[in-house]
Amino acid sequence: MAVAIGSGDALLRVRDLGVAFAGQGAPVTAVNNASFELHAGEVLGIVGESGSGKSVTLRAIMGLLPATASITGSVRFDGQEILGMDPESLRQMRGRSLSMIFQNPSSHLDPLMTIGRQVAEPLLQHEKMRPAKARESAIKILGEVRIDRPEQRAANYPHQLSGGMKQRAMIASAIACRPRLLLADEPTTALDVTVQAHILALLADLNRSRGLSMVLVSHDLAVIAQVCDRVVVMKDGEVVEQGAAGKLVTTPQHPYTQRLIESQPGRLAAVAAAPTVAITDSPLLEIRNLGVQFRLPRTGLLRPKALLKAVDDVSIGLQRGETLGIVGESGSGKSTVARAIMGLETPAQGDVLLDGRSIRAGRLAGQPDFRRRIQMAFQNPFDSLNPRFTVRQTIVEPLRKHRLVPADRFDARVAELMALVELDPRLADRKPGQLSGGQCQRVGIARALAMEPEILIADEITSALDVTIQAQIIELLNRLRSQTGLSIIFISHDLALVRSFCHRVAVFEAGRVVEAGNVEKVLSEPQHPYTQTLIASVPEL
Amino acid sequence: MSEQVIEMTSRPGVQADELPLNLKIGMAVVIAWVLLAVLAPWVTPADPNALDLDNVLQPPGAAGLMGTDQVGRDVFTRVVFAARIDLWIGFAGVVLPLLIGVTAGLFSGYFGGAADALLMRVVDITLAFPFFVLVLAIVAALGPGVGNLIIALALVGWVSYARLVRAEVMVIRNAEYIQAVRTLGFNRFYILFRHVMPNAMAPVIVYAMTDMLLVILAGAGLGFIGLGVQPPTAEWGAMIADGQPYIEEAWWISLFPGLAAISFGIGLSLIGDGLARMLRVSN
Repeated sequence: MAVAIGSGDALLRVRDLGVAFAGQGAPVTAVNNASFELHAGEVLGIVGESGSGKSVTLRAIMGLLPATASITGSVRFDGQEILGMDPESLRQMRGRSLSMIFQNPSSHLDPLMTIGRQVAEPLLQHEKMRPAKARESAIKILGEVRIDRPEQRAANYPHQLSGGMKQRAMIASAIACRPRLLLADEPTTALDVTVQAHILALLADLNRSRGLSMVLVSHDLAVIAQVCDRVVVMKDGEVVEQGAAGKLVTTPQHPYTQRLIESQPGRLAAVAAAPTVAITDSPLLEIRNLGVQFRLPRTGLLRPKALLKAVDDVSIGLQRGETLGIVGESGSGKSTVARAIMGLETPAQGDVLLDGRSIRAGRLAGQPDFRRRIQMAFQNPFDSLNPRFTVRQTIVEPLRKHRLVPADRFDARVAELMALVELDPRLADRKPGQLSGGQCQRVGIARALAMEPEILIADEITSALDVTIQAQIIELLNRLRSQTGLSIIFISHDLALVRSFCHRVAVFEAGRVVEAGNVEKVLSEPQHPYTQTLIASVPEL
Repeated sequence: MSEQVIEMTSRPGVQADELPLNLKIGMAVVIAWVLLAVLAPWVTPADPNALDLDNVLQPPGAAGLMGTDQVGRDVFTRVVFAARIDLWIGFAGVVLPLLIGVTAGLFSGYFGGAADALLMRVVDITLAFPFFVLVLAIVAALGPGVGNLIIALALVGWVSYARLVRAEVMVIRNAEYIQAVRTLGFNRFYILFRHVMPNAMAPVIVYAMTDMLLVILAGAGLGFIGLGVQPPTAEWGAMIADGQPYIEEAWWISLFPGLAAISFGIGLSLIGDGLARMLRVSN
């Protein structure tokens, strides 16, 4: 990726870019005075949290902003001004000179068109290629993005491919006409970490072999640092810092960049403060040979319904005061285990024991005693709260229904719980739609804590949050466990996060535990090949 | 905590602080009609059924604001009194099916299973017949009259509500906030009525406004063919039918009850539109 920077003209030059959206009332500024440039053959990363204006910037370059946006400044591609260009010239340019890939390949591929056809389409449109020749080229390009058996895959529809495969197909379609610049908007965010590693390697390879320049937008600084030559850091619509990737990560200048780097899960200092736990023979919670099955829809009229073993013969224990990490990729069954413990799924076999007593769903799960002792916090901060309830109503409900405190103490207890999760008391009368993601997540935790549980199951509670907010929530959980002796089952796809926060870890693959033990030991000397792949795939700063 | 302070200032809340204009206009029209209906004897002291054979088919003017009909009854008085019947049909003909349909849809969508399958087949069969044909058949079987008309409307109308609510509930029951309250160990029926139902009601309320219009038209239609309200009781549909033979020389007999029905209907659909917009904003 060696590039002579500063020589000659930049391929892309963004000057004083401003984007504002007209809404009800005053226009909302999304991007303010952003300037940066990209030289031919370079990979530029734009990193920032939600609302930082990074995606809007990318869309402005591509000319994809809606008519309600008012755009100022200048975007020059190869010496030509893109802002205010007539639609026909812009259309000629898109796909041919610059093209774009998106976060969610499922919603950006046409479900009714084969993969081969979608890759061939730009060739037919822009290069006026003959259909047979376009098809041939499409298969060749599919091979170049390392889709195996491209001849057969070309005839597949998007739903027949995995997420990673779809992202490759979208990249293939974007590079079909050999553009000079590829814009990538969070291209790996929806993917598992092992798949992400492959896609990032593919992008780096395309940059090397074709000299393809790229602008890569991501919320994940580690991803950006891994593939980019230079990095632009955005916050609240402004560029706060930019520079060479290595230098920016090691010696960040702006306080926000420093905070971003400190918030990276690998750098959290939580584990240093974690209380030590004695491993005993009688764990607080014991999962014994648990199995959960789902019936899949019939594939044909006369075929029997197939069974999917979502959780297969899983045994793990949770000690009092311990934080147990459960890691695995999507579909590995880690959430299903949590749901089975909570009685939201009925296990097909096995048992869950709390203090040696069986709590299997259907028999005892409805008992308030059990409910009080195990509580759960959910992944999606907005969706896990009733949109019509205020914060106060949400927290009071379990207190009232289970008569946990007398009615005249409701307000005092709500204030206590809100203080415990560091929520501003002025937010008590707001509804979820008026709160941020991090605030909603705190309300969800406060609601669980209202039951005074001994065990908290946290199912991907930070994965929908920005990294600095994630650091705050982890900080909160860390304080809670040292103050109250809470035992935590911490489910996450993020190995670095689990490493910094958990005592022990269980690695899930396809419904089974492939490896478990002390978190440092498992993650530094992984025994199972799957754990090794998983660890090797994590991008590092 | 710094995050929270920023949020306090940058997210000023999303309540619609002003009611949509069409909602305001619609409510004004509907409230005006409700007042007219309730205050009918004071609005017009005349007896709606009093015959005056010396003053038949008088045009609007000296003989009354809207003229008189073929037996000398005051059209204005009858239009106002008819509002009592038509509004009652509209109200009862919506509330009853709404209650039945929402309850059925809630249980069906939340619990699923055999009862759900059975209920949905009943819904399919009912929906296979045109709405009006089925209402007509039931009224014909039970005998004419306002009470029977409302029963017929309830028997046919609930299926639309059941279907609407069931579809909403099936989405909501998988939402994380429902999972979350399940893990808090609340009673299933409590969750269904306290958490699921309020979140499933927005489309129902919007639909009910349109449905009320449909129900009043059905009532008027049945009145027109003689199966609804019985003479001499004033009802908009029956009045339009009464005026039909005289439409060329005495247009006012049919026109004014027609205008009354139209204005009330427009009021209802404006409310429906306004509510739809408002509920969309708050969601």
